[in-house]
Amino acid sequence: MESVLKLPFLCIIGTLVTAFCMPVLARWKKDFCAPVATFAVGSVFITTIVIAYNVMHGGVIRYAVSGWAPPWGIEIVVDSLSSMMIMLLSGICFLILIYSFSAIKHELERKVVGWYYTAFLLTLAGMMGLVVSNDIFNFYVFIEVTGLGACSLVAAKGTRQATEAALKYLLLATIGSGFILFGIGFLYMITGHLNLTFIAQELVLVKDSYPFLIWTALSFFTVGFGVKSALFPLHLWLPDAHSSAPSPSSAVLSSLVVKVYIIAFLKILLIAFGLEIFHETFIRHLILVLSIIAMLAGSFFAFVQIELKRRLAYSTVAQVGYVFLGIGLGTPWGLAAGLLHIVVHAFMKTCLFLTAGAVYYQTGIKKVNQFSNMGYKMPITMGAFTIAAFSMVGIPLFGGFISKYGLALGSLEADLPLIILVIIVSGLLNATYYFPIIGQAYFSQGDNEHENSHQDNNHGDSHVDNKFQIDQVPLSMLVPIVILALGIIYLGIFPGTILEFINKTVTALL
Amino acid sequence: MDLELLFINFPYFVAIILFSMGTLIVLTQTNLIKKVIGINILQSAIFLFFITVGNIEGGVPPIYDPQFPDVLYINPLPSCLMLTGIVVSFSVTAFALALIVKLYLFYGTICTPNFMKLK
Amino acid sequence: MHDYVTRVVFRYMLLFVLLYGVYVIMHGHLSPGGGFSGGMIIGLGLLLYILIFGQLWNDSFRQMIIDSAIIFVGIGGILEVSKFLIPHEHGPIGVSGTLFSVGIISVANFGIGVLVASTILGIYYMISEEA
Repeated sequence: MESVLKLPFLCIIGTLVTAFCMPVLARWKKDFCAPVATFAVGSVFITTIVIAYNVMHGGVIRYAVSGWAPPWGIEIVVDSLSSMMIMLLSGICFLILIYSFSAIKHELERKVVGWYYTAFLLTLAGMMGLVVSNDIFNFYVFIEVTGLGACSLVAAKGTRQATEAALKYLLLATIGSGFILFGIGFLYMITGHLNLTFIAQELVLVKDSYPFLIWTALSFFTVGFGVKSALFPLHLWLPDAHSSAPSPSSAVLSSLVVKVYIIAFLKILLIAFGLEIFHETFIRHLILVLSIIAMLAGSFFAFVQIELKRRLAYSTVAQVGYVFLGIGLGTPWGLAAGLLHIVVHAFMKTCLFLTAGAVYYQTGIKKVNQFSNMGYKMPITMGAFTIAAFSMVGIPLFGGFISKYGLALGSLEADLPLIILVIIVSGLLNATYYFPIIGQAYFSQGDNEHENSHQDNNHGDSHVDNKFQIDQVPLSMLVPIVILALGIIYLGIFPGTILEFINKTVTALL
Repeated sequence: MDLELLFINFPYFVAIILFSMGTLIVLTQTNLIKKVIGINILQSAIFLFFITVGNIEGGVPPIYDPQFPDVLYINPLPSCLMLTGIVVSFSVTAFALALIVKLYLFYGTICTPNFMKLK
Repeated sequence: MHDYVTRVVFRYMLLFVLLYGVYVIMHGHLSPGGGFSGGMIIGLGLLLYILIFGQLWNDSFRQMIIDSAIIFVGIGGILEVSKFLIPHEHGPIGVSGTLFSVGIISVANFGIGVLVASTILGIYYMISEEA
C-alpha cells in the first residue's frame, strides 16, 4: 500500500519528463518519438489500472507531496472519480497515440513532430494533474499547462486557419483561467486555505458572514470554467479550434480536454462549496438553463455545417450540455448520468474524429455531402462511424443510451419532467445530422461528382462504384478505431464496471 | 456610499477596474498586439488582488531576523503564488506573440477585421 | 540600432546587469531573491545586448542556445522533482546570511536561473527566426 501512494504522482512526473525528452530525441532520431511516447503513455495506463484497483478495494489514496502535511503542502487525492478519470485519460491518449503513428506523418510537417509529442504529453500530464490534485492553486497551474498544451496541439498544423484558431483559443482560454484565478483569490480571502478539504471545513463556519463574496466567487468560477469547457454562450473558440487541428489533436481536445475542466468545476462546486451552498444559490439553475440551451443550440448549429469536423465540433458543444445538465440537476441519477456521459462521450467523439481523420487520409474528403459509397470503400471505418453515431443519437445497446436514460431518470428525480422532452428533441436533432451521412455512405447511387477533388493518390479514381473493398489505411489507424467502437458497444451492454466507480463517487459527493 | 469603506478597500476596487478593463480590451480591440496587452493588464489585476489579500496592516516583509523574532509578518503565500502566476503570464504572452508573428507572415497585417476581408 | 547613447551606456552597464542577476540567483534560498528573478535579469540583459549591438553570434551558436534552453528545461524539471521527491531531506537547513550552506537547493536555484535566461533567449531566437 505504501508504494501505491506515490504512483499517481509518478504518473504525472513521468509524463512530464517524457514530454521534455521529446524535442531532444527528435533532434537525434525523429522516428523514435512516436514509439517512446506511446510506450510511456502505455505504461502510465497500466499504472492507472493498478491505482484504480487499489482505490476500489483499499479506499482513497492521499499523498502529501514531499512529505508536507496538507494545510501547508500540496496534496494528491485519488478517489474513485479521479481514478476512473486518469484511467480514461491515459487509455484514450494511448489509443490516439497509436493512431498518430501514421496520421501525424500525413498531416504535419516533419520538423514539428518532436514538439507535437511534447505538447501532447504536456496536455496529458496537465489533465491528469488537474484530476488528481486536491489544491486549488495547483488546479490553476494544471489548467494553464493543459491550456497551453492544447493551444500548441491546435497550432501544430501551421496553416492559416489553425494559427488563427489557436490564437483565438489562447486569448479566450486565458480570460477563462483569469476568471478562475480570481475565484481562487476570493476563496483564499474567505477561508485562508487552498486545500479543498480545508476550504470545505472553513466555509461551513464562515458561510453566513460573507454571502456576497461566496456568490461572487461562484460566479467567477462558473464563467471561468464555462469558457474553458465551452458551455453554450461561451463556446465561441471551440468550433474553429477543434475543426482546424490535426485529427488526433481534435480527438484529444474534444473528448478529453473539455471534460477535465468540468471535473475540476464539479470538485470545487461539490467538495469546496458543499451541497448546502450548491442548492441555495442560483448557480445550479443557471447551469441548468444554459445546459438546456446548449443541448438544443449546439445541435442546431451542428446541423447547418457541411464540413465534417466542424459538425463534430458543434456536436461537442451539445454534448457538453448533457454533462452540465447532469450537474445542474443535482440528483444522484442525474450526476451519475452526467459523469457516465463524460466516459461514453470520450469514446464516441474520439471514434468519430479518428474516423474523420481516416476518411481524410484515404480519400481527402472533408465535406459531409461527398460521402457517397464510402461504406463500400472503407467498410471498417464507416462501421465504426455508424456505431459511434448510433450511440450519439442514443439508440439502445450503445453507450449513449445508458447516459441519456440516466439523465431522464435524474430529471424525474428532480421533478422536472419537461427536461425529458428536451433530451428527446436533442437526440432527434443528433439523428438529423448524423443519419444523412450514414445513409449517403451506404445507400447512395454513385454520383461521383467529388472524385475530381484535390486528392492525387491513385486509389480514389473515378471508376470506383459499389464494389466492396477493404480499407486502405494503415493498420495502426484501424486498430484504435475498432477498439473504440467495441468499447462503445461494451459500455452499452455492460455499463456495470463504470457505474460501480460512478456510484461510489456519487455517494461520496451527494 | 461610505467613502471611508472605499478608501480602505481601494486596492480591491483598482483590481476589479483593471480586470474589467483588461477583459474589455481583449474582447473589443481589433489590433492583436493590443489584445495581448489586454491579457497582461487582466493578469496584473489578479496579481494586485492576490497581493492585497496577503497584506497585513503594519506587517513587515517576511524575512526572518534573529534579533527581532516577534514582529508581525505579512502573509508571504500569495506573493509566492503570484510568482507562479507571473511565469504563466510570461509564457502565455510569449506564445501569443509567436502566433501573432506567424499570422503576420500569412496576412501581412495584425488587425483582425482585415483577416475577414482577406479570407 | 544605431543610437550612440544606448551603445555607450549599455557597454558599461552590461557587466553590472549580469552581476546583479548572479547576485539575485545566489541569494535565492536564504534571503530575498531567486532563480527565476535572477535568470530573468540575466536573460533580459543579454537580450538588450543583442537588440543594441545586433546579432553578433552566428547561427550554430544560436541553435546551441535553443538546444540548451530545451535541455535546461529538462534538467531544471528533474532538479525540481528531486526537490519534491526527497521528503524533508533537502539537505541542511542552512545558516541565515551564509551562502552555500543548504546543499541541493542552491544548485537547483542555479539551474532554474540558467533555464530562465536561456528560455528567454530561446524564445527570442525562435520568434526572430520565424519572422
